[in-house]
Amino acid sequence: MTQPTRIGLEPLETIGNDTPRIDAVERVTGAAQFTRDVKLPGMVYARVLRSPHPHARIVSIDVSAAMALPGVLDVITHVTSPIVWGSGCVSGGRQYNDPIKDATIHRRYIFNNPVRCVGDSVAAVAATDRNIAEAALELIEVEYEELPFVLEPEEALADDAPRIWPEGNMCPDTRNRFEPMTSRIGDVEAGFAEADRIFEQRYETGFVHNAQMEPRCALATWEGDKLTLYTPSQGISNCRHDTARDLGLQDHQVRIIAQYMGGGFGNKNQNQDADLIAAELSRRVDRPVMLEYTRRDDWLGVHGRWPTVQEYRVGVKDDGTVTAMQMRGYSGMGPYRKNSGGISGMDYYACPNRLREIYPVYTNRTTSGNFRAPSDPHGVYGVESIMDDIAYEMGIDPVEFALRNMRRPTEEMQFTNYSLEEVITTGAEQFDWQARRRVQPGSDEGPLKRGAGFSFMMFRAGLGTSSAVVRVDSQGQYTLYVGVTDIGPGAKTTMGMIAAEALGVPLSQVEVVWGDTDRTPYSVGESGSRTTIMTGYAVVQAAENLKQQIADRGMPDGADVLIGTATPVPTTDGLIRQCFAAHFVEVEVDTSMGTTRVLKYTAVHESGRIINPTTARDQIRGAAIQGIGQALHEDLLYDPRNGQPLSPGYYRGRHLTHQDIPDIDVTFIETDDGYGPFGAKTAGESGIILAPAAVANAVANATGRRMRSLPITRDKLLQEVSA
Amino acid sequence: MNSDSFDPAADKRAVEPGTPESPSRREFLETTGATVAASAVVSFATPAMAQSTDTDAPRTAIAVSVNGVRHEIEVEDRWTLAELLRDAIGLTGTKIGCDRSECGACTVLMNGAPVYSCSQLAVWADGAEIRTVEGLARNGQLTPLQQAFVDNNAPQCGFCTSGQLMSATALLAANPSPSADEARAALVGNLCRCSNYNAIVEAVVAAGEGGAA
Repeated sequence: MTQPTRIGLEPLETIGNDTPRIDAVERVTGAAQFTRDVKLPGMVYARVLRSPHPHARIVSIDVSAAMALPGVLDVITHVTSPIVWGSGCVSGGRQYNDPIKDATIHRRYIFNNPVRCVGDSVAAVAATDRNIAEAALELIEVEYEELPFVLEPEEALADDAPRIWPEGNMCPDTRNRFEPMTSRIGDVEAGFAEADRIFEQRYETGFVHNAQMEPRCALATWEGDKLTLYTPSQGISNCRHDTARDLGLQDHQVRIIAQYMGGGFGNKNQNQDADLIAAELSRRVDRPVMLEYTRRDDWLGVHGRWPTVQEYRVGVKDDGTVTAMQMRGYSGMGPYRKNSGGISGMDYYACPNRLREIYPVYTNRTTSGNFRAPSDPHGVYGVESIMDDIAYEMGIDPVEFALRNMRRPTEEMQFTNYSLEEVITTGAEQFDWQARRRVQPGSDEGPLKRGAGFSFMMFRAGLGTSSAVVRVDSQGQYTLYVGVTDIGPGAKTTMGMIAAEALGVPLSQVEVVWGDTDRTPYSVGESGSRTTIMTGYAVVQAAENLKQQIADRGMPDGADVLIGTATPVPTTDGLIRQCFAAHFVEVEVDTSMGTTRVLKYTAVHESGRIINPTTARDQIRGAAIQGIGQALHEDLLYDPRNGQPLSPGYYRGRHLTHQDIPDIDVTFIETDDGYGPFGAKTAGESGIILAPAAVANAVANATGRRMRSLPITRDKLLQEVSA
Repeated sequence: MNSDSFDPAADKRAVEPGTPESPSRREFLETTGATVAASAVVSFATPAMAQSTDTDAPRTAIAVSVNGVRHEIEVEDRWTLAELLRDAIGLTGTKIGCDRSECGACTVLMNGAPVYSCSQLAVWADGAEIRTVEGLARNGQLTPLQQAFVDNNAPQCGFCTSGQLMSATALLAANPSPSADEARAALVGNLCRCSNYNAIVEAVVAAGEGGAA
């Protein structure tokens, strides 16, 4: 096994030691039961009919032929089931906030009329067999009145653009104001006046689908007024609350079960329309209903990372000091705004004069929403592209340029600890940056050209309170109840390790109960890289509570048990708590073929104390590889003539395979800043943030040409190098 | 998971109320029931799991060996091998990620060779020997490859894992000591969106004779 390099801390008793997942055997024997593997007596199957048009009004739907097909039990549409999907169109990062769901003016239903993108859901069928359900879809007769459509965010803002919502195509904010998201620090005009040189550039990034291996699905069953949903969720507690809210139920009337789930990367936050459709069908037909999305359903009917346009203006003094940074960005949100449309990265710089305006815009493409570090990789690509060009233009090593200009602690803004310089200098040394980069970009002779690039970041986890319960019985067996699901990073194991460490017992003495809202307390969910620090912190506090009870009363006897609980509110005493990272990449570009191959990849992270080095390593390696895919391959292309998506799915999305993958070298610099569970900080999302920027910079260093559009596909690269 | 007993009560639950059972369905059950008496190694689907409510769907009787157990079963002609394994036989370790030969999550071994079970019709498996992830471990004893997957954290979410294991099992049968590049070539048809590719290749190499040391 390739171990990560670790600098800084010694392992504790359990924490910090390489630990196989406690459910690893289930994952390699086929015993792990994913949602689609659950079979209930009398279960029937459901399929969704989707719009073939990018924008159309539904004039009529005739379901009679579909209903007449033997085996079909029900067909639901926007007429029969006008259910609002509360978290389906809520602006930026506020999906957990009920008042904002109530206030939002652009309500998304489980079936919408008009339909606003190819793949918008129109109807759903329940039948005794999935093949019958699929056949029935073709018998539903929908009369559409086609409407004009718009695909590009800048075009959508034009006065004469087709209107996707009555108020126009600018997405409203949480107070229903139609204004760009603006962040202003200092005086940007004064900063430009101070500059000796001003650089300007425009970048574009594509839509990247989460593309988790398990397509969306949901199995709903009712007992009286109580709904049980088996659903792959990245947050069972919020899924329960949102589902109850959307269906007019109390939280306790909904049970969410997510035992194993096949990835999400932000695709499975909150509840999904699939959950509501399955619940509605199950209620109507009085049977358990398994709704299965096809791969195409998932690609077009869920969401991915928003495509962006980013226009930068940066002022620099002759000594390499950045005096002003300005960016105007456009984020294509599809017809429903399922996240902010943010474009991050400028805030890694100390520059005192910054202005950022981002226009989140509705389009008739598929919906944009959460994908691992939702606002970051595309933004860092834009910022670091222009900064890299400036550095080479001014004859400064980009690493030196970063160290000179990056954000550092100030009197007003203190960090719990600060490792940004250390991750950069450690990475540069391990990667042998000076030997691998070309001082003169594009200077290799011949068509095969090598070069190196780098990028750096700081990243903060989302906040949110969680609860944990720990029980001990008279035989000394501990049971930990946590409302986490294991979406891949190994949360179940991590929570068990934290409990074992806090209780002072071996991991084998701790059973972990997870993934079921009727058996576990509230947890904030597997989003915002917060499970380890937020729920993990609750585990520590619950263990402390239990230990105190044991100290006071002794271990339980006979049938007695002791139960420790905690619902702590983590604080950082007003300090900023960030994880830090720097990635270094070497590529070889074949300028005759337009292909780019990653030869070497070095990732250095400071995420506090590492709980389980094995799974932490693979969060970073996997995320970096996803980022390489975003840099070089993935996009969802549309035909501008008819609004049809051209590249849904793995094959046409050209997702990376085993043979495209370099070995990712991971180093953890470990610290304990006194916060979080045993000093652990966030890790899960951070690994994807830097790859697009670092790869793009390496391509620029190899070729001497700046690729201003992601992904850096062969056609774009050949066009650029032959220009 | 593999049921070897017939539970009539379970079948009742699967039948649409008010819909008379079709003769062909009864015949099917009677036929398979009779076969049980004749052969000790025959298993067949728990009918509650089988999707066979479409009485007009054309069917074909096949015999297929799955993980060493012989199944004589009437399948709908449109069923894929993945549907047969997951829904009719109840072996859900085989996953469906794309249902169109793009991702490899559904990979099983057919007569020793890896195939995408989403893109094989069940009827094509007539007479074949199929091996799925459930057929790797024997009596609770993991294969060296499975153990290497555990030790090297090869599964993240685990949804692609069965397919990766089956492709790697075929590789190790043909090449007991694969290099990392040979592992990558053999597993190129198995996507992992967690992108845990490094760990999977490390596990396959470690499971080989060359990696055992």
